[in-house]
Amino acid sequence: MKILFFTGKGGVGKSTMAAASAWQLSQKSRVLIISLDPAHNLGDIFGTVIKHGKTKFTNTLYLNEVNLRELSREYLQKEISVLSSTYSYLQVLNLDNYFSILKYSPGIEEYALLTSIEKTIRDETDFDYIIFDTPPTGLTLRFLALPKVTITWINRLTGIRRQILEKRYTIHRIRGTLSSEETVLDYKEEDDDILKRLWELNDNYQALDRTLCGSDCNVVLVFNPDILSLRESQRLIEGLDDLGLPLRLLVDNKVTEENEEMATYVEKQMKGMAQDVPLERIQLAKTLLYGRKSALYDIRESIIPDSW
Amino acid sequence: MVLPILEFFKRILSDFDTAHRESAAALTGVEVKELENIFALLLLGSFIGLPSPPSFLAVELLPFMERELKVLNSRARDAGDMLAEMVGTIGIG
Repeated sequence: MKILFFTGKGGVGKSTMAAASAWQLSQKSRVLIISLDPAHNLGDIFGTVIKHGKTKFTNTLYLNEVNLRELSREYLQKEISVLSSTYSYLQVLNLDNYFSILKYSPGIEEYALLTSIEKTIRDETDFDYIIFDTPPTGLTLRFLALPKVTITWINRLTGIRRQILEKRYTIHRIRGTLSSEETVLDYKEEDDDILKRLWELNDNYQALDRTLCGSDCNVVLVFNPDILSLRESQRLIEGLDDLGLPLRLLVDNKVTEENEEMATYVEKQMKGMAQDVPLERIQLAKTLLYGRKSALYDIRESIIPDSW
Repeated sequence: MVLPILEFFKRILSDFDTAHRESAAALTGVEVKELENIFALLLLGSFIGLPSPPSFLAVELLPFMERELKVLNSRARDAGDMLAEMVGTIGIG
């Protein structure tokens, strides 16, 4: 199973390219395309309404739009249920109110996104390709960085937690049987709920990080023949490089006869930053120039290399 | 007659033992509390402006943090009287 992330500046045609690739790939393989962008337009591109969960478009092509708000809500709801069962003194408080504020806390949406990516990769194993249409650069880089950032934090927190347990054990040893009347705090690593949860999270994120940086994951960078999109794409390449994510394809979209000179310049610059990455040039449909409708099938070039 | 006296000395020795064990454990106890406080602070630091892990990590661990939150609270409450804290810790008076 191959995983494709379509990234790039807002408005360069990520969704269109992702949709066109999904369509082309679905002629030969089973494809699932998922839009992670809060401003969904996957349904519009395919001219259909995507309801909750994945929707069948053809026998080999399934569409899905991730509802961020709902995801965050579901996630917090799950935490509330654990919370109210383990805390004794918070029962009286109205937890819903507290969590309705947490919902807007920074990071929750990215986390919800990451969870949905992880879940998709884990559950949807019967597809040959999973294509993710990502939100604009900033948010994409942030949630792709999350596994690494989180692993660092988890390691630090695990270290402190271990120290606490070691000291508790020392106290237990010194006090010996005397502490039998008092409640003895957990001192064994395998008894400590926090440490257990930290380990579990660590395993999850390590696995996800391995998948994202692995050979089956491909990041596709879409850009246009203009300087603004060039600059942002260059920053994105640097960002991907920092995170160790594999950039595998460059797509120069919306090329016309008029902007061909600029297209060549931008492509040269991009190639300079990512030498071994193949580049695909996609012409802007003539009909669009004259304000007429254009269909996905009008894209004649095959976007994804045959070797994938 | 001999038995109650023996019992009495035994009690004295055992209390002596307890006292020593308690005083030896006390400092480590303070250290543990301090570490628990730091753990909670690190995790929930964003509420007071400390650089903190992604907030979902705090949410993930929150269900198991009852004790740490209590320690954090009591440390915050006693922070106004650090001298008394220290004197109590060292065991003067």
